[in-house]
Amino acid sequence: MRALRKVRLRLRSLFHRRSVEYELDAELQFHLDRQIEENLGSGMAPGEARRAALRVIGGLTQYQEECRDMRRVKLIENFAQDLRFGLRTQRQAPAFAAVAILTLALGIGANTAIFSVVYAALLRPLPYRQPDRLITLGEVRSQENLSGPLSLESWNASYPDYLDWRAQSKTFESLAGFTGDGFTLRGAGEPETVLAAQATTNFFSTLGVKPFLGRDFHAGEDTAAGPYAAILTHSFWKNRFGGDARVIGRSIQLDSNSVTIVGVLPAGFEFAPQGNVKMWVPLHIAGDLVTRRSLRWMRVIGRLARGGTSAPARAEMDLINARLAAAYPGQNGAIRIVMAPLRDRIVGQIRPVLLVLFGAVGFVLLIACANIANLLMARAARRRKEFAVRTALGAGRGRLISQLLAESLIIASAGAALGLLIAQYGTQMLIAAIPQALLDSMPFLRDAHADPVVLAFLFCTMILTGAAFGLAPALEMFNRNIGTTLKDESRGSTGGVRTQVRQALVIAEIAFSLVLLVGAGLMVKSLTALLDRNPGFDTRRLLTFSVFLPPAAYPKDPDIIRFDRDFMDRMRALPGIVGVSSTSVVPLTGGGNTIRFAIEGHPVATGQENECSIRDVSSGYFSLMGIPLVAGRFFNDADDTAAGPMRVIVNQAWVKRYLPGEDASGKRIRFTYSPSQPFRQVAGVVGDIADAALDSYNEPILFAPFRQDAGSFITYVVRTAGDPAGAIGAVRAALRNIDPQLITIIPLTMDQIVAQSPSVFLRRYPSLLIGSFAALAMILAVVGLYGLISYSVSQRTRELGIRIALGAQSGDVVRLVVGEGARLTMMGVGVGVLAALSLTRLMRSLLYGVSAVDPSIFGSVALLLTVVAAMACYVPARRAMRTDPIVALRYE
Amino acid sequence: MAKPTDLVQGTLDLLILRTISLEPKHGWAIAKRIQQVSRDALQVQQGSLYPALHRLEQQGWIAAEWRPTETGRMAKFYALTGDGRAQMQKELAAWNRLSAAIDLVVQEV
Repeated sequence: MRALRKVRLRLRSLFHRRSVEYELDAELQFHLDRQIEENLGSGMAPGEARRAALRVIGGLTQYQEECRDMRRVKLIENFAQDLRFGLRTQRQAPAFAAVAILTLALGIGANTAIFSVVYAALLRPLPYRQPDRLITLGEVRSQENLSGPLSLESWNASYPDYLDWRAQSKTFESLAGFTGDGFTLRGAGEPETVLAAQATTNFFSTLGVKPFLGRDFHAGEDTAAGPYAAILTHSFWKNRFGGDARVIGRSIQLDSNSVTIVGVLPAGFEFAPQGNVKMWVPLHIAGDLVTRRSLRWMRVIGRLARGGTSAPARAEMDLINARLAAAYPGQNGAIRIVMAPLRDRIVGQIRPVLLVLFGAVGFVLLIACANIANLLMARAARRRKEFAVRTALGAGRGRLISQLLAESLIIASAGAALGLLIAQYGTQMLIAAIPQALLDSMPFLRDAHADPVVLAFLFCTMILTGAAFGLAPALEMFNRNIGTTLKDESRGSTGGVRTQVRQALVIAEIAFSLVLLVGAGLMVKSLTALLDRNPGFDTRRLLTFSVFLPPAAYPKDPDIIRFDRDFMDRMRALPGIVGVSSTSVVPLTGGGNTIRFAIEGHPVATGQENECSIRDVSSGYFSLMGIPLVAGRFFNDADDTAAGPMRVIVNQAWVKRYLPGEDASGKRIRFTYSPSQPFRQVAGVVGDIADAALDSYNEPILFAPFRQDAGSFITYVVRTAGDPAGAIGAVRAALRNIDPQLITIIPLTMDQIVAQSPSVFLRRYPSLLIGSFAALAMILAVVGLYGLISYSVSQRTRELGIRIALGAQSGDVVRLVVGEGARLTMMGVGVGVLAALSLTRLMRSLLYGVSAVDPSIFGSVALLLTVVAAMACYVPARRAMRTDPIVALRYE
Repeated sequence: MAKPTDLVQGTLDLLILRTISLEPKHGWAIAKRIQQVSRDALQVQQGSLYPALHRLEQQGWIAAEWRPTETGRMAKFYALTGDGRAQMQKELAAWNRLSAAIDLVVQEV
């Protein structure tokens, strides 16, 4: 109650100032009048009575001031006054205000844009129920540690192991599995390839996601002959089915199955590990996939039991794993279970990029602040007289500082407002620059925008920056003797605290921009090194696409082989096509099957067999791809027949790992998944290729003839004479000619694959961004240096005049001025190099083919900065050189 | 007559609250009343009175109202609020404790 009245009174004092003032006048006047009356009553003459009363009352005005103080609104009023005054001041110097606001807007805008993305990717909780309890699990072979870092992408488990985990684990509330899938959707309109995912029926309940329409999968809907049920994503439901609620219960044709739509997912649903799938179906696997423990293909997520943490879960899984290893030494002997928070699987790759970018853009903001502080201090120097006069008239230091802060807050808020606009566009551009395929694996980035958290970040940045660059000139007020200022405006030479602070700011700016330039240089060098890397095959004019042959229409290997031969013949006959071949996995895309094998004469313990990637390729594959032959021979058409001799080809990395120092061709190996597997002879050794990604290590690979293990999903590689993208139409027509039901799945040129690959993107993106940040930083720093040196020259006009009058040559003057700038630059470069040496280590995971302390980058960046800084100093130096001693001496 | 003693810091609030506790008064009347009751021993300076009144009003302990005086002129009358009455009791108790304590010490020696 009382608090309310207080607020009301304050508000009244604040907003009805006139009437409050009037009342105060009237009240004191009343008092005065009564005093006069009393004096008259005691027999004074009227004039005397009034004078006496005024004497008793003392300074009326002072009382009024005290009464106002008591109303406690002075602080706010003063600040409002400062703001008004600040606005007027800005209007008087529009160029200064424009430069400061624009600089800050760029800094704040870039920071906010990056922060939006960082927030969307790293800070915002995943859109599931209690997402911190979600864990991703996988089985890896201990020997996979031998080369390269463990990739979360390759964490898979076999179905029988998953079932055992599920049955034995108590620390997990539930464990769910999923894997990618794809269908040809027939029915309404054109047949369409639909990217899908199959999952155990408890998948959505594990995530804590409920369908928006319809129902979740029922237990038992995961039948091998299925799928018979499907849950659509919200966008696919909108786009393909027009958002019609009656789709629930409707049947659609997926490949050769009639499937019922049972549900639609909520609009915000996303599951990054499966990217941009359009529908989810229950697990429908059969045969080996169900029974073989050594087939590790399923991705597993788990929800920790309520109140559970990952440590006991890890201990329990290790225990379960040990039991499985004892029970199935052949399959599980060399397996260990790996676990990580689900978020790591989703953002693990982009996290270092974003953090480095966030750091870089923070530097830009610091430089922008330093620059504005510098400008403000230079301006404060010009306004010295104004401040001195105001001090003399009774303005306290607090008042002057509050005025300076008000001015800087005006700049900061204008900068922030403009920065918000920049951030809006910036965020969109940041997202747009991400290749579609990658964006699909980071769907959460699509809704990076200025939400309340981002706005709060923007506001805090604004206040902090405003205080940061406003405080420098304000604090400096404390260190100055106002009296001398009034007497003498800027006589003499440079020196004093002010100049030292400004010099320190310029040194810091140069140092920061050096760090950014070094970072940009390292990123660009990594990108060049990556793109220059020979992937081991010829990437030019190469088109790739896949074809899926539905088992209903192509049930047996001979059917598939007949199609394959026919299709390749037709493509070879097309104009502009130089050659055609096929593989199970296109290089640079990763994934694919692995195989366990034993080498004849190299016995290994059961369960400890070697395991490496296996690719099923057509006979002309190596010559078409341009993969060189190292020893032996390529496959020939006789090898690539169903009944042909059992032959394999290996790469150099394979020889290096499994038969070091030996001649591999002619050696025999045997696949160990079944005792009935025959020995296969190594026909030849080929060069290594970058298989999983452009930056991946050379992994051992086995190649086997396609027609000896014909799969329903075939990926074709086509070498064209001209632009490979132009051949898609003809290829599609050829396919339709054979079977109108078939479609070309994900046609991509190799150039597109390279451009969209994470390894390239993860370098190109930061190269581009840090590069622009560094350019901006350098411009700001050089402008700051230029401003400081110009100012110093103008301050030293008299000194320079005397020097010239005493016979200094223009060379001496230039040396003097440039020397001052060079000293600052050298210090900045020195500090920057030291800072960069320790900071670039943080971006090591992003670098490729270049050391974090690459001397050529450090050297050239230091040189670049020095040269640019010298040029910035040379302009004021020339002005100094032309100083006319007569004018300079008369100047005072 | 000796120069009126300066008011002990903080006691002015108590004097004002006490003075208007019976009926609302304007500033002049408050000053006069304190002077009379204390038999001229306490003279409240206008320089302290009005800021104090404004402060007390701001605290919500007194409320102001413009009303005509007996001579018909408008004056700002201050009245005690409920909170003010409670505050007065508190300050009164504190004052009694303090003065009794001082009495004890002064008379002991």
